[in-house]
Amino acid sequence: MSQTFNLPDVGEGLTEAEIVSWRVSQGDTVDVNDVVCEIETAKSLVELPVPFAGTVQELVASEGETIEVGQPLIRISEASGEAEQRPASEKENAEKFSSDPAAADTPKDSPTQEQKRGEDRSPKGSGEEQNQALVGSGPKADAPKARPRTRPAALDLVDVSDVGLSHGTSGDNGRSSHESRLSNHSAADVVRRAAPPVRALAKRFGLDVAQLIGTGHEGRITRQDVEAQAHQTSGSTQSPEVVSLYEGPREEQVKVRGVRKATALNVSASASEVPHVSVFKEVDITRTMELRTALRNDPSYKNLNVSPMLFAAQAIIRAARKNPQVNATWHDSHYTLCNYVNLGIAAATPRGLVVPVIHDAQAYTTQGLAAALTALTAEAREGKTTPAQMQGGTVSITNIGSLGLDFGTPILPPGQASIVVLGAVRTKPWVVEGQIVPRQIMTIGGSFDHRLIDGDLAGAFISEVASIMEQPGLLMT
Amino acid sequence: MSDIRLADPTPVQLLAEDGTLTEHPVFSQYIEALDDEVLRELYRHMVLERRFDAEATSLQRQGMLALWVPALGQEAAQIGAIAALEQTDRVFPTYREHAMALYRGITPEELMGTFRATRHTGWDPHAFNFNAYSVVLASQVMHAAGWAMGIKQDVATGTLGEGRPDDELVLACLGDGATSQGDAHESMVFASSYELPMLYFIQNNHWAISVPQETQSRVPLAHRAAGYGFEGMRVDGNDVLATFAVTRYMAEQIRAGSGPKLVEAVTYRIGAHTTADDPTKYRTSEELDAWKSRDPIARYRTWLESRSIIDAAYTEQVDQEAAELAKQLRIAVRSMESVQLERVFDTVYAEPHRQVETEKAWLKDYEAGFAEEEEGADT
Repeated sequence: MSQTFNLPDVGEGLTEAEIVSWRVSQGDTVDVNDVVCEIETAKSLVELPVPFAGTVQELVASEGETIEVGQPLIRISEASGEAEQRPASEKENAEKFSSDPAAADTPKDSPTQEQKRGEDRSPKGSGEEQNQALVGSGPKADAPKARPRTRPAALDLVDVSDVGLSHGTSGDNGRSSHESRLSNHSAADVVRRAAPPVRALAKRFGLDVAQLIGTGHEGRITRQDVEAQAHQTSGSTQSPEVVSLYEGPREEQVKVRGVRKATALNVSASASEVPHVSVFKEVDITRTMELRTALRNDPSYKNLNVSPMLFAAQAIIRAARKNPQVNATWHDSHYTLCNYVNLGIAAATPRGLVVPVIHDAQAYTTQGLAAALTALTAEAREGKTTPAQMQGGTVSITNIGSLGLDFGTPILPPGQASIVVLGAVRTKPWVVEGQIVPRQIMTIGGSFDHRLIDGDLAGAFISEVASIMEQPGLLMT
Repeated sequence: MSDIRLADPTPVQLLAEDGTLTEHPVFSQYIEALDDEVLRELYRHMVLERRFDAEATSLQRQGMLALWVPALGQEAAQIGAIAALEQTDRVFPTYREHAMALYRGITPEELMGTFRATRHTGWDPHAFNFNAYSVVLASQVMHAAGWAMGIKQDVATGTLGEGRPDDELVLACLGDGATSQGDAHESMVFASSYELPMLYFIQNNHWAISVPQETQSRVPLAHRAAGYGFEGMRVDGNDVLATFAVTRYMAEQIRAGSGPKLVEAVTYRIGAHTTADDPTKYRTSEELDAWKSRDPIARYRTWLESRSIIDAAYTEQVDQEAAELAKQLRIAVRSMESVQLERVFDTVYAEPHRQVETEKAWLKDYEAGFAEEEEGADT
């Protein structure tokens, strides 16, 4: 007869392990507790001793393979004369061995009816010798085994108001008090008689569940009972339509792939590695908006997308020159200052978030930058942005204003020290020379790599960007 | 205010690492008073536990135990202390006092119930004067103080239980890590205030899982006793004779009414914190090797042999007994039956309780509501 040693859970709640090396080969003779292999779990390297003696019949898993807890590891053909491995004699030996039956609650008494039934539900061995493992080895631990119910359980445990003062009552009061409780309308009774969705339905109709008469099994209040009562109460011939906002399957598993997967990897790496710091500033960009109108009317900007982002991009290129650390990459032992601006433009596309880059953005004229932005945005929307176009960014912009938002703390793209966030342009009351006047206001802010950029530097940079947006004439300086 | 001297940072040692016995003005007499049979028993119990421990570790690796907490390397500290006490002294163990438990007569099957997850506690604490293992760090130290307060009041009111001596003491076991728990502080404050008959027995095995002892305390742990107003002492926990002598010395004073005392047994956890731990991740092999060379059993065996207290036949016999113990442990673990859930209700309160009874009845009723799946099953 052969015995199978299944991969046990050697830690607490491990699910799998990798076979690092086998210490035995097929045909080898092993004794109980001989180490047969080394495995690596999520926690540690562990040497596994075999629970049987005999000859190695098969190494089921191979080196380098990762197998789940409970999967077969090695098969041993039983050595002769290993009587103690057999469950029947185990019982006898165990009884002989235990010293004092009265000393503790050892399970040596003949099994009661309940115990027998408990055994019936424990995992059963197949034809193969089982080693009654607790975790992993042997039959799959905790294999769920649903048995049909013959009758509903009486869930009358909630009412404990009359419980707890008297000692020594008989054990069956769960039943004896059952009848009396059926008649009252306590909260516990309601809980027992109406399921949560039914109670919720009654609440929507403004009905008191306690007053309803249940027509269901054992006096249960059903959905129909509630609807019938509601119908009666309203006197209407039409029962109100109950619409569920959440129709369809209760949960759905969606495979993570493509842009979603790349975004998830990037942001989790960045968020866990880079300490982010954010600053914001509200800016009056009325003059920028006036300039935008002027450019839109300029024939050389025909068909080009002239947005506040264009001016923000120009402002960032200027401000980064004055505050070079925002345009840098952190490498722990040193950081790289960039004497160019590769401007990443975060774009929400049907495929997900992509950040195409305008390389050497500092080399463009305003018109050229507008053209580049227009082309890049169109490509991104069409899903044509190539991975190469997303490489090498040094500073990025994200325009959450297009989503109607004002503030946000973006996660830095990997390798970048700054990302500027632009809010929506809103006409707001603003104080200009002592007068409250309507002006066009935008929140400008950003997230920064705090290892390199402290709040004062982030503030200086954002203030510089803000000054230019406030007075775009500064772009001519 | 009494003036308490700080413990000597150098642990008391009688048996050097090479197995030579040195004279000590205070402690040697406790060893000289022992006959050879007792000395042999100390050895036997250490060897038995070590084999038991190894088998349990294997059983866990084979999926037969949910967890095991190795005591490897701490045999002398445990056996030295427990052997120095009376059977009537109450022990409040952590979850690693296997040598003490076996010494008190708890069977492998009883000891393994918790680790096999078939029992909350496998033994009757009253039958062995050995409390349930406590997995919640340092909680047992509080329970120990409570028990000692009970003893003190029973003595004062003349209501001691039948057969209980009036000089019973309480052994509160804890590890170096547990000394950082608030519970340890509270327990020691109460023990001192009430002058409780307690011996705090710290097994300083140097690692609180992965936190080294130096991080837990910048001074010897035994120094802490002085802060509470009682005496602490350091002993070489890998020296079974010194641990025995110091424990008995302290116990004598406690029985004479001194109030609490503290012993810090300086030892080392050779194995992992538990089978779910990988110590190679936080300590060096050099450190481990240095402590392996101070093995508690090897040095004691060398001395016993040099005095001809044991011979090859004896050690062979003990090894065989240990092998048999391991075999019986394996059989016991494999034949353990699951706990009956209903039993849980019976141990909540000492006296019948209506709510518990109601819940038990409900469970019974609920369980009975399932269709039987096999012919011939009970109805």
